[in-house]
This record gives sequence, C-alpha cells and structure tokens, in this order.
Amino acid sequence: MNAYGIEVTGLTKRFGEVTAVDSVSFAVEPGVVTGFLGPNGAGKTTTMRMILGLVTPTEGTATIGGRRYTELDRPTRTVGAVLDAGAFHPNHSARDHLRIYCAMGGHPDSRVDELLDRLGLAEHAHRRTRTFSTGMKQRLSLATALLGDPSVLLLDEPSNGLDPEGIAWLRTFLRELAAEGRTVLVSSHVLSEVQQIVDDVVVIRRGRMVAAGPLEEIARRRPPTVLVRSPDAERLRALILDGTRGPDAAVATAEDGSLRVSGLTAAETADLAAAAGLRVHGLGAEDSSLEQLFLDLTQDRAGQAGQYEGDAR
Amino acid sequence: MNALIKAEFRRLAATRMWRWALVTAVLLGGGLVGLMAVVGPENFSPPMPGLDTEEGVLSVLGMLGFTVFVPAALGTLAMTAEYRHRTATYTFLFAPRRWQVLTAKLVTFGGAGLVYGLVLAVSAGAGFYGALAARGVTPGLAAGTVWELLLRLALTMAVYTLLGVAMGALIRNMTVALAVVIGYLYMGELILMMIPGVNLVYPLLPGGATASLTSFTYVAEAVAGELATSPVSLLSPVGGGLLLAGYALVAAAVAVLVPMRRDVV
Repeated sequence: MNAYGIEVTGLTKRFGEVTAVDSVSFAVEPGVVTGFLGPNGAGKTTTMRMILGLVTPTEGTATIGGRRYTELDRPTRTVGAVLDAGAFHPNHSARDHLRIYCAMGGHPDSRVDELLDRLGLAEHAHRRTRTFSTGMKQRLSLATALLGDPSVLLLDEPSNGLDPEGIAWLRTFLRELAAEGRTVLVSSHVLSEVQQIVDDVVVIRRGRMVAAGPLEEIARRRPPTVLVRSPDAERLRALILDGTRGPDAAVATAEDGSLRVSGLTAAETADLAAAAGLRVHGLGAEDSSLEQLFLDLTQDRAGQAGQYEGDAR
Repeated sequence: MNALIKAEFRRLAATRMWRWALVTAVLLGGGLVGLMAVVGPENFSPPMPGLDTEEGVLSVLGMLGFTVFVPAALGTLAMTAEYRHRTATYTFLFAPRRWQVLTAKLVTFGGAGLVYGLVLAVSAGAGFYGALAARGVTPGLAAGTVWELLLRLALTMAVYTLLGVAMGALIRNMTVALAVVIGYLYMGELILMMIPGVNLVYPLLPGGATASLTSFTYVAEAVAGELATSPVSLLSPVGGGLLLAGYALVAAAVAVLVPMRRDVV
C-alpha cells in the first residue's frame, strides 16, 4: 500500500468575524495513526473539511501525498473520510448507498459486498438507512470511506454517539486499518478514546495549535507539577510568578483551592515558601495522567498557552 | 464523467420516485386527455371548440403543457435532496470537481425527463384516439400533426426537468426552487406582461418559449390582443426548445459558479 502523508501549512479559516482555524500547521506521517485532539468547537472538523476540499481555506494549504485533495485524479482511491455519520438518503438501503458511491468513485461493484461483510452489515444490506441505529450508520459511513481501499483515512469524531460496545468495536477496527499500513487521522474530544491506538497527536484549542508530535514525547515534555495546599496561597502564587523563577513557572488553582505549580520541583516550591515564611499544609508531586495532560493542553490556564508546543512534524 | 452518470442513474433507481413519476405520467397523459376527449370540449363550461376542429384538438392536447410542474418538481430534487440529506458531503468527496456532479445530474435527469415525457405523450395519444374512436368522432387534425405535437410535449417535459435540476442547484431548497419555477410560469410572467414593453419580448421569455414548443398560444393571443397590432410571432418549436434549454444551462452555470462553490460544513 502506498503510504501518503498529510501536510497542513498555515491553514486558516475565518467565517465572517470568527476565526475557526488560525494558521494551523502540522504533518501526519505516512502509515501512522495520528490523534487530532481538542475540545468541541476547537476547529477540528473545519480543519478536516479543508484537507478534504469541502471547505475552502481563507489562507494556507493542505496536501495529501503532495497534492491538494481536489487535484487528486481519483480521490477516493487515495483518501477515505468519515465526516457526518448520519448523512444518508433515508429511503436508500445500505446497499443502494454503497452502489451509488461505488459507481461514482469508479470502484468495482464487488467492493460493495466485501465491505457489507467486513463491517457486519450484510444482513441489513436491504434495510433503509432511516431504520439504522447510530452504530450501523457509523459502520455504513466507514464502508463508504473504504470503497476505494484508500491508504489515507480521515475520521471526524467516529465514536460520537456510539455505546461502549460500539466504541470498543471501533477501536479494534481502527487498529486493524492501521495494521494494514494506512495513514489515519482520527479526531476526538476525548483523549482516552484514541489514546490506545494513536502514535502521534495534534492538539488544537480555539483554532490554534497547542501541541504536535509523538504522544510519548509530548507526555515526557510535560513539566513536573506540584500540588500545594496553603492558607497563604495567594502570596505564594505572587511569589512564584514574580518573574525570577524562569519562563516555565506557572500556577493554576485546582478544584479544591490548592495551587497546581509547574516549572518548579517540589523541593524548590517548598524552599521558596519556607524562605518567605508562608505556611504550607500539604505538598506533593501530582500524578500525571495523559488525560490530565490533555486537559492542561486544552484548558485556559494563565501563562500556559503554547507551553507544550512541539515541533510541527 | 461516465462514472458520475452511472452513479446518478443508480441514485434515481434507488427510490420509488421514478415509479410514481411514471404512474403520474400515465394518469396525466392518458387519464386527463382521455377524460377530456370522452367528455368533449364542446360540453365544457364554457364550451370550447370540439375535437373535430383543429383548434379543439390543439387546446385539449395543449392542456398537457400545464403539467410541466411535475417534471420540474422531480428535477429540483436532483440537487436539493443532496443538501437536505447532507449527502452532498459524500458526493463532493467522491467528485470534488463539482460542476461534473451537476452535469451528470442534468444528463441523467434530462434522460429521465424525456422518458417521463414519452410515457405521458404515448399514453395521451392512446387516451385521445381511444376516446375519439369510442365516441365516433373524427379528429380535426391529421395523425402526423397530433403525434408531432405530442412529441414536442414530451420534449417540453424533458426541458422542464432540466430547468428543475438547474433551479434546484441554484436555490438549494426544494420547496423554494419549485415555487420559483411554478410561480413564475403560472403567475410571474403574466404579471411581467403588465409592464409596458415587456410583452414585446414575450417570445423570448420562458413562457413564450414554452408556448412555441407546445403550440398552446392562449397567452400569446392575449398579448397580441392587448397590443392590438400584428399578432405576436412565437419562435419555432425548435427555437423555443433550445431557448428553454439555454435558460436551464445558464441557471446551471450560475449554480456551479456561486451556490455549489460554497463550503460544505
């Protein structure tokens, strides 16, 4: 299978006054599963639709194997996309739907039955799509994307609306597709849904890139965080942020009112408080889960924007 | 391009719409014309010339021209259904050159509209001659002329299907697109006629072109009556047909240049 990568350069989309995507640049490595992460409304869908030529960028380019989607000769033989799982004519059967797009893509009709089988839809092939559950629609959407046996797959929140069983099935299926050597870009607003299958991640927030690179590397780059419980929290915060602690020093307030300090070690934080005569009732290094990392990356925290910016690979 | 046309034929065949369309064609063609011929226009209220006169035959068959809203409605579905059911996303992914999508739809629906028109025409001919034979009336128009008129009506249906496809692509909403086509045809143009001077270009307007294609000249005669000058001369049927097809192509071209280039979000 020819492995193509995706190259996104300075991609920007403005809808009137709103900048949905703001000069985003990243590369999706060929043959690798990349998670495209960010909260709802971060600009993931718009970015993916720009890569696929459905939305015209205000600025910037997106190419697949060096060519824009709209310049590909038979695009569905190179790229498959799952964007809007409910988008079927309600009176078409699953087979009708696949036969229409099989013809449109110029793919052999034998693909229809192969994919109905592979996605477990064979026994529902003659049912109208209006009677389909969300899970079945998602499978039909995946089948449509795979008609041309593409080496690149873009999936926009494929697990949305699926029950736990469906999510487990999807995860297995995506792992299979990746094992076949396909390049996969899968978006999600929940890291844990894709964590087990992605090698790389691209994280965006409010239309801007906040991190890109191998997941492990980004997790490693994350500075240690120290949780401090102190009745003098506000004075401690001011002390840490007085500008003499290095550029990485940052403080956020945790849910229970304690401070979450980053850029300083536990020892440095304790010494700082002691030297200033501030009371400390508790202090410890924070457990860093990937989910916490993702939340850190995608939530507003003073002085944090761009902190984890990796190399745009 | 062939792949896209094949896909559009499959799309058309996938729902029961085409079967209902053909049933409608038979009901409107054979049913309506047969009924009028059985009753006889001389028994209408107010009475019209009988079918043993040329005028009577022309007016009964010309009534079919009023049924162009059916193929026009079917045509508007071609593109509007894609937006309504959001399948435009898939379609533009599989065919990123969007003008090709509309071209394939025009070809496919044009063909389907012609089939609709032929079924309408043949069933109308059968109803017409059947009813006349039953009543023992000799038609006031030669068989060759009758069938030529019916063929022209079949072509009118095909052209109005194209107009529907193009207007649907332009307006993107089926109900509005249909309202515009039908509203213009049955009302808009008559209102336009009230503007002084506009009636001079009547032959070049869609309604005038339709009249030349269907030989249903009621409006043309009214216009001529109002002008009180020489009778308005309509285009030839071929000219009228080409002009109408031209309107459809212009609408389709604008559709490709403006609404179809919009972002699919």
